[in-house]
Amino acid sequence: MKQKNTREKKKWNNYLVAGLVMTGITLAIAVIGAFWTPYDATAMSASLKFAPPSFAHWFGTDNFGRDILSRVMEGVETTVVISVLVVAASALVGVLVGALTGYFGGLIDEITMRFTDAVNGFPSILLALVILSVLGGGVEKLILALSIAFCPSYIRIVRSEFIKYRDADFIARARLMGVGWARILFVHILPNIFSTFLVSIVIGFNNAILAESGMSFLGIGVQPPAASLGKMLSDAQGYLSSAPWYALAPGLAIVWIVLGFSLLGEGIRRWNN
Amino acid sequence: MIKIDHLSVAFDGTEVVKNVTIEIGDGEIVGVVGESGSGKSVTALTLMGLVAEDAVLTSGRILFDDVVLAEAGKTRDKALYQKYQGDEMTMIFQEPMTSLNPTKRVGAQVEEVLKLHTKLSKEEMKEKVLKTFASVGLKDTKKVYDSYPHQLSGGMRQRVMIAMAIILKPKLLVADEPTTALDVTIQNQIIALLKEINEKQKNAMLFITHDLNLARRLCHRIVVMKDGCIVEQGETKQIYEAPKEAYTRRLMEAVPSRIPKKVPRVSGEEILRVEHLDVYYPAGSNSLFARKEKNHVVKDAGFTLHKGEVLGLVGESGCGKTSLSKAILGMNRDVTGVISHDTVRPQMIFQDPYSSLNPTKTIGWLLEEPLRAAGKLDKSLAMTKEDRRAMVYEMLKKIDLKESYYDRKPSQLSGGQRQRVSIGQALITKPGFIVADEPVSALDVTIQAQIMELMQQFQEEMQLSYLFISHDINVVYRMCDRVMVMKDGRIIETGDTQEIFDHPKEEYTKLLLLNS
Repeated sequence: MKQKNTREKKKWNNYLVAGLVMTGITLAIAVIGAFWTPYDATAMSASLKFAPPSFAHWFGTDNFGRDILSRVMEGVETTVVISVLVVAASALVGVLVGALTGYFGGLIDEITMRFTDAVNGFPSILLALVILSVLGGGVEKLILALSIAFCPSYIRIVRSEFIKYRDADFIARARLMGVGWARILFVHILPNIFSTFLVSIVIGFNNAILAESGMSFLGIGVQPPAASLGKMLSDAQGYLSSAPWYALAPGLAIVWIVLGFSLLGEGIRRWNN
Repeated sequence: MIKIDHLSVAFDGTEVVKNVTIEIGDGEIVGVVGESGSGKSVTALTLMGLVAEDAVLTSGRILFDDVVLAEAGKTRDKALYQKYQGDEMTMIFQEPMTSLNPTKRVGAQVEEVLKLHTKLSKEEMKEKVLKTFASVGLKDTKKVYDSYPHQLSGGMRQRVMIAMAIILKPKLLVADEPTTALDVTIQNQIIALLKEINEKQKNAMLFITHDLNLARRLCHRIVVMKDGCIVEQGETKQIYEAPKEAYTRRLMEAVPSRIPKKVPRVSGEEILRVEHLDVYYPAGSNSLFARKEKNHVVKDAGFTLHKGEVLGLVGESGCGKTSLSKAILGMNRDVTGVISHDTVRPQMIFQDPYSSLNPTKTIGWLLEEPLRAAGKLDKSLAMTKEDRRAMVYEMLKKIDLKESYYDRKPSQLSGGQRQRVSIGQALITKPGFIVADEPVSALDVTIQAQIMELMQQFQEEMQLSYLFISHDINVVYRMCDRVMVMKDGRIIETGDTQEIFDHPKEEYTKLLLLNS
């Protein structure tokens, strides 16, 4: 019982601080990138082709003479917006389906679980690839495909948490009071799983960002001329020896974003324990 | 001779054990008694060298036959302790399930001790383990030897733990609440066993408990601790018959010794009637294709509960008490028989005050929720926000919590306070009867008394009826007008509390009474 008294003690930790700072910078770049970039990200210039980094162009220019910094800022914006939508959609489906199947169990639960088993059988990127090649490319379809690929893992997490709480004493008491099932699910139980769920959401961002970059790298995600980190990397591939700076900025941006979210996730996990 | 000499232990700069001196002579059993948080367990763990790494000895030392095991200002000498641990000094813990490795057979686990400290051959080891098993009262020792912990009952597991602790005939045996997790009848067997071991092996024993009755039966001397300090120590007889300190007296008074109930105010009106009630679980696997069999946990139960009455339900764990109560409340649908009552929504108070309140809500929200739910189901009961709030403040006053608790979370409350909130939550809609499932079993003795008083107060005020489930005979004696005794799913005896206590008819009832 003594341990239980201390379980609510929350502690700041270095992971959390570093994660918050890095993710904060990422989001700031995304927001700024939506409204302002140093140069027009799609403006081409034959004279500026492959200009190395300079004061005018911090990260140099690409094969069409476009400013790489501006394109990375736009790419970060695109990536963040796509992953936010993907995570939001799949987490929402995860909460709804996971809560219902976990709390009520029974046949519907069995069917849903076998379905998620089947979906889980494929790597999520491969699954998204299949969906995309059936539906065709484009940002909306990319979001849809990634959401479908990611929601089984959220369903599983939420379901197992709801199974844990459905037999809790305080839920039994709520039922005795006559509280309706929807209220039990979303007012009584849901706040209890929030901290666990938050960690998986933050980690989910990472997967979404990597998946989006991977898709765009393969040319089936964001379509040119719109900037995307993955597409920039794949373009830069051909010029690695002649213009090494081309790959540097988008590569660093992906590492920065993913590292930031990883640290944030770990920080939240430690905060909760 | 073991001596804890002016010992103080601190965590994060806070002293939890303050200037404690305890001597344990050879063959002597010393009991350390105190409420949770009194520092008794930390004292024992420090003595054993098992206390957490961040504990700091701020004063004093620990002597084992004139060898200094630990001393303030020195880092823990792990090598020295290793020589003593498991060999010269051993410990028995409260929870036998978590102290045994679930993946290994218990025989092998006990042999591990021999492997570490003796040079016996394999056959000799096995023989010695079997002999020790027999000496701690385990029957069919060969079968136990090959069992996994989950295949044994709680009492058997604790016997295995004791066997492990005494197999090398240690000079010192520390037992930290060794019987708290066990049923009363098993408790007594374990106490008798410890006594027998002490007489045979002449070990020094440190027996840690919150239960004064147990300490009284086993210990030669008693040390009473509170807030890390020793309040009083002396011969058991002296402590019980002539306690010097007020706290010791309070601790003893709080023990629900047979205080009879105040005059019952039972009217003839029937609140609840149960007839021929069977509760069962579908046996076998969860598979769709398995043949459904009924596994009865309650058989042919029948009783009535009258207005203003407290009906006790007594029995060991697994006897079907909780299944019966859940069936009455409609929480279990696998039942046959008749349950009839007029109460719209009877409520339940659970044993564990930590799991019966939603940790994410405030106390105010929790107390309002039953009113909100009632209002939604029956529009005539709907209340405005202000009215609900006013009612909650009134309830806070009744359960003796300050108004400022309205905005607190359950985690900021003590166990006793939480149980008050639980009671308030159950009673705010004024239900006709309440099922209370071991409502005071998880609480300290002094808190137990307060909670029982609170429940009685409400009962008088609201003409409530309780179905009061407990394994603690003394609590039942204090709370109940009538008592039902349950064994293996059947109610074997029912009667007025006084009658049952004075003239029990069934052998089993006699046994239960004898053991408390």
